[in-house]
Amino acid sequence: MIEDDIYRTSSQFRLWSYTEASLKELRAKTNAIASERARTAIRRAPSAQPSATSSAAGTPQPGSDGETKKTEEKAKEIDCLTPEEELVFVRYYCEKTLELGETYKPPLPTMVRATAIQYLRRFYLTNSPMTHHPKSIMACALFLATKTDNYYMSLRQFAEGIPGNTTAEEVISPEFLIMQGLRFTFDVRHPFRGLEGGIMELSAIAQGQAPPAPHLPNQSPQQLLQQIQSIAPPPVACSSIADRIARAHGTTRETLKSAAQMTDAYFLYTPSQIWLSAFLLADRPLAEFYLDTKLGGPLTQTTSTDQSDLQNPLYELRVKLLNVLTECSALLNSYTPLSSDPDQMKGLKRIAKKLFYCQNPEGKGTKRDSAQSQAVAAAAATDSGQVTSESESERLAKKRKLELEQKLKTNGSDIFGPELATGRPKE
Amino acid sequence: MAASPFTSRSPSMTVASPNTLRLRASAAQNGVVGATQASSTPTLNAGQELTEQLNADVRQRYVKDKKLGEGTYAVVYLGHLREDPSSFVAIKKIKVNAEYKDGLTMDAIREVKYLQELSHPNVIALHDVFSSKDQNLNLVLEFLPRGDLEMLIKDGDIQYGAADIKAWMGMLIRGVWFCHENFVLHRDIKPNNLLIASDGEVKLADFGLARSFADPYLNMTHQVITRWYRPPELLYGARQYSGAVDVWSMGMVFAELLLRVPFVAGNTDLDQISKISDAFGTPAEENWPGVTQLPNYIPTDPAHAVPLQGRDFFLRQFPTAGPVGADLLMSMCALDPRKRTTAYQALCHNWWTMDPQPTRNEDLPRKMGTKKMGDDLSRRGGDDDGPFKNAARQLDFGAMK
Amino acid sequence: MASKDDLDHRDEDEVCPVCKSSRYLNPNMRFLINPECYHKMCESCVDRIFSSGPSNCPVAGCRKTLRKNKFRAQTFEDIGVEREVDIRRRVMHILNRREEEFDSKRAYDDFLEQREEMIANLVSRIDVAKTEAQLQKYASENMQSIRTNQALEEQEASSFQARMTQEQEEARLRRQLAREQLENERREIQASREDMLNRLAAGSSADAAAIAREGHKVLLKKSSARRSEEDRIRQKQAALRSEMKRGAGAGELAGPSDSGLIKGLRKIKTPEPEKPYDPFMGYVPEKRDYYTLQSSYPSTYLDRIRNDTRMAAGGYDLKEYYSRTMLEAFAGLGCFIGEEVSRRDAGAEVKPAATAGAAMAAGGE
Repeated sequence: MIEDDIYRTSSQFRLWSYTEASLKELRAKTNAIASERARTAIRRAPSAQPSATSSAAGTPQPGSDGETKKTEEKAKEIDCLTPEEELVFVRYYCEKTLELGETYKPPLPTMVRATAIQYLRRFYLTNSPMTHHPKSIMACALFLATKTDNYYMSLRQFAEGIPGNTTAEEVISPEFLIMQGLRFTFDVRHPFRGLEGGIMELSAIAQGQAPPAPHLPNQSPQQLLQQIQSIAPPPVACSSIADRIARAHGTTRETLKSAAQMTDAYFLYTPSQIWLSAFLLADRPLAEFYLDTKLGGPLTQTTSTDQSDLQNPLYELRVKLLNVLTECSALLNSYTPLSSDPDQMKGLKRIAKKLFYCQNPEGKGTKRDSAQSQAVAAAAATDSGQVTSESESERLAKKRKLELEQKLKTNGSDIFGPELATGRPKE
Repeated sequence: MAASPFTSRSPSMTVASPNTLRLRASAAQNGVVGATQASSTPTLNAGQELTEQLNADVRQRYVKDKKLGEGTYAVVYLGHLREDPSSFVAIKKIKVNAEYKDGLTMDAIREVKYLQELSHPNVIALHDVFSSKDQNLNLVLEFLPRGDLEMLIKDGDIQYGAADIKAWMGMLIRGVWFCHENFVLHRDIKPNNLLIASDGEVKLADFGLARSFADPYLNMTHQVITRWYRPPELLYGARQYSGAVDVWSMGMVFAELLLRVPFVAGNTDLDQISKISDAFGTPAEENWPGVTQLPNYIPTDPAHAVPLQGRDFFLRQFPTAGPVGADLLMSMCALDPRKRTTAYQALCHNWWTMDPQPTRNEDLPRKMGTKKMGDDLSRRGGDDDGPFKNAARQLDFGAMK
Repeated sequence: MASKDDLDHRDEDEVCPVCKSSRYLNPNMRFLINPECYHKMCESCVDRIFSSGPSNCPVAGCRKTLRKNKFRAQTFEDIGVEREVDIRRRVMHILNRREEEFDSKRAYDDFLEQREEMIANLVSRIDVAKTEAQLQKYASENMQSIRTNQALEEQEASSFQARMTQEQEEARLRRQLAREQLENERREIQASREDMLNRLAAGSSADAAAIAREGHKVLLKKSSARRSEEDRIRQKQAALRSEMKRGAGAGELAGPSDSGLIKGLRKIKTPEPEKPYDPFMGYVPEKRDYYTLQSSYPSTYLDRIRNDTRMAAGGYDLKEYYSRTMLEAFAGLGCFIGEEVSRRDAGAEVKPAATAGAAMAAGGE
């Protein structure tokens, strides 16, 4: 199909589409590397540990990281996040991004917020929250999204809109890091516009104005109108077809703003599959009717071999698509917001606490010194592409150690990080 | 597409230049599989986060050979694929702009964003992007060594005719049509942004002002497009516009190719409007309903009003184009953007099938010799407005010895 | 070349080696040969032995199977020459490469030498099987080029004929034209002289010189007009000839491809047939598989725009929005990432260094 080939040229398909297995593998690998680096860095900074380990009894997770068991005692004590925990943690900040976008006057457009969330999700495929705390990445990702999605505001204006006293420099400092994590692809294909197209076409059908689909020339506007009027009743009673379409539209849009953003939907499915899956959840009979106008009815292939003209030429596509849409619907349906679920919040606090002890002290973006993070970026990005020279990393490590001690002195009591306790984005 | 019962696949994949595909796809592969491959590598590079390793992989794919030119905000190098010394690429290193406090500049963001998505023979190919030390952004672009259309227009030693112009215009309109098909406005079409590949193909370059379009109720800036190529609706401050803005610019390039001087070259925005009025007719409610409601509309003294120019004018002014070519030009220069032809309609025009046939790429006139480059990197001809005036996005490969 | 009559009546004592009848008894006797074995026999023997189908050669010791339709009259007196000419004709019919197909004169000479050697081998029965096999192989592999060159040869032969006739015809036309023009001029001179005489007779003497000059000028103009007319014809003919040459050149291009047997053939790019210019260069514009785009869709959300003259005056076009939303509604609907991406990964793992082919597969499938 020509529309599919057009989608295949997008960077979202070329670089950001994964199978469930490859997604899992990638996250495991990112986690493994980050854990290793965090352990090495913490070992280099021994003085920072004791106070932490003594109070770490709250959430020990022995054995969750089997691979390091045989190494030194010290490493064993450092309990790193699992890929699953990282994912939950990042998701929380995706929800926060939505909230942050809401605090602006006027609120940032849905598309900008959704782009920022996808930036976060893409970024954390090859970066770990143990190295880069999402708190600082989140604001910058949102700012970057205002730039890439043509909703430009100045950095100063943007920083002022963030609750608390975040400075412009703090917002912008991880920008380059994020762009690198995004592999310099800024375009995100969202399902929102596609939903509008589908709704407009359904409205045209309901008004008897829809032309037949290109490969189903036997359709007629009148026939389509009759069919839409005779489909199974909606989940909630509606006064008219127009009303029914409008309701389904609204429900679908909400799903796309929330569940579609917070799950792996963008990595596993295409935007058109995502909106149609959300639409299926909103009004299954209506969505199925619409699909049939595109892909023909459930005519089976098995009727007879000679009656080839009776067969639906799109049969195979239809079967496959229905499977994929069912999977995607299930994924979207599985989402419940973290903040509305006390159990999940409890788990999240545990992860936050755990992260406090395994946060890589050499990580970038968690500190307020953009100059430092730039130095690290510069060092890491030497042209040879090889590891930073040993002396250089030692030097940096010592610097980090000092900073960490400083941080613990000033911030030590605030073990959970203020924003988690209050559920607010910042302070 | 196993599920498709249709044998006809979209040609959009097959037509793209193989080189682009090769480079592009290798990038794609790296995204998904890079991780898998790296995991099978015995020695994990524990010194780097995965994201840095991926970046290093891309960086190491290229070798910078020599500097082609330098401007305030970018340096352009000639480079090649490490595994293939015969491949040429241009590596554009965007320097950190210390004056711009809001992170990466908008034009760099736009260029990267849209070129990552567009793959067409008449659009400059962005093969890869990577970061190098000091947080510099490096764009690996298609190497286009034969200068730009402006150089050809200005070079009195070069003779060209209607068949050559037809070939160049065909390539230009195709490139723009493809952008519009992908809902990207270029917003800075002018002869020196139309670069020429070694095989003679014209490529649309410099996407620093590009943006996506078509969404309703969204305001766009009217401070775009170099003045001489800027359409009247933008000069009048329209905030909602369409692909028609690029079509006007193409019409101006067409006229310039025919005349070998810019057709309407105003000194200020106001002067530009009056020159357009003098040339094509004064915009008014009769020929452009609603024009008086545009934000910066300036009423013209009825005594000086010029009636809308008809076919005769274009025939007289542009005899080289022939009657059919003049007709196409006229349709691209309609004052009212709704009456202006679209890039798609322009390609459907019967001028393309008329004699003379467009010159084949290998027979197109070419500029010989070298050209100094530094100029082009910092210059933005005729554009003095808007937040982008300092943008340095000029790419020029003419300095090749 | 000896004529048939000479051969037939050469020797009164000639005897058919098969039936032993002599020309003396049968003055109309014709001898025939078959290129299989070149054994001579008389026409009535051929009729008698081979009319009912293929049969063995009746000459003692010869086991060749002969067919009647292959019998023909002898061209050369010496049967050895006859055979060599046949072989040569056959080989050259197959190995019919042309000089312009070779990279260099040297390569062409090598080819000629190779061909002579093969002919010599066949004539002197050295390595016959091997040489025949080479010929066979070459023939089957280069069928196209052989045919093309054969056609070219024929064309050249006939165009030579045609050119001769054409030139003769042109010469005849020129002569005729010249004759007519001369005749015309003669008549005009006659007429103007009469005219002048009449005018001189009628007018004053002062006009006489002027009238005479005028008459002379007219004549000059006429003859220069004739000269330019002749030039024009000559130019036209030259153009015609060069066109014919170019036509032949295009024919040659289609031929050669390198073959195992012959070295040094020029690599010639297959000429692309001149296709009509496609402004879209192969892209299919406006084609869609999932939906039919309409010029307008119902939407209350958009009604405000429909009535907004300022937006319309700026060129904002809702059709672009319809086109975009409809495309995005269906773009990628049939992309099954689970399948396509795992295939892409699998392909990439087999060949870690992405080749163009794998890349194409990854990007395009």
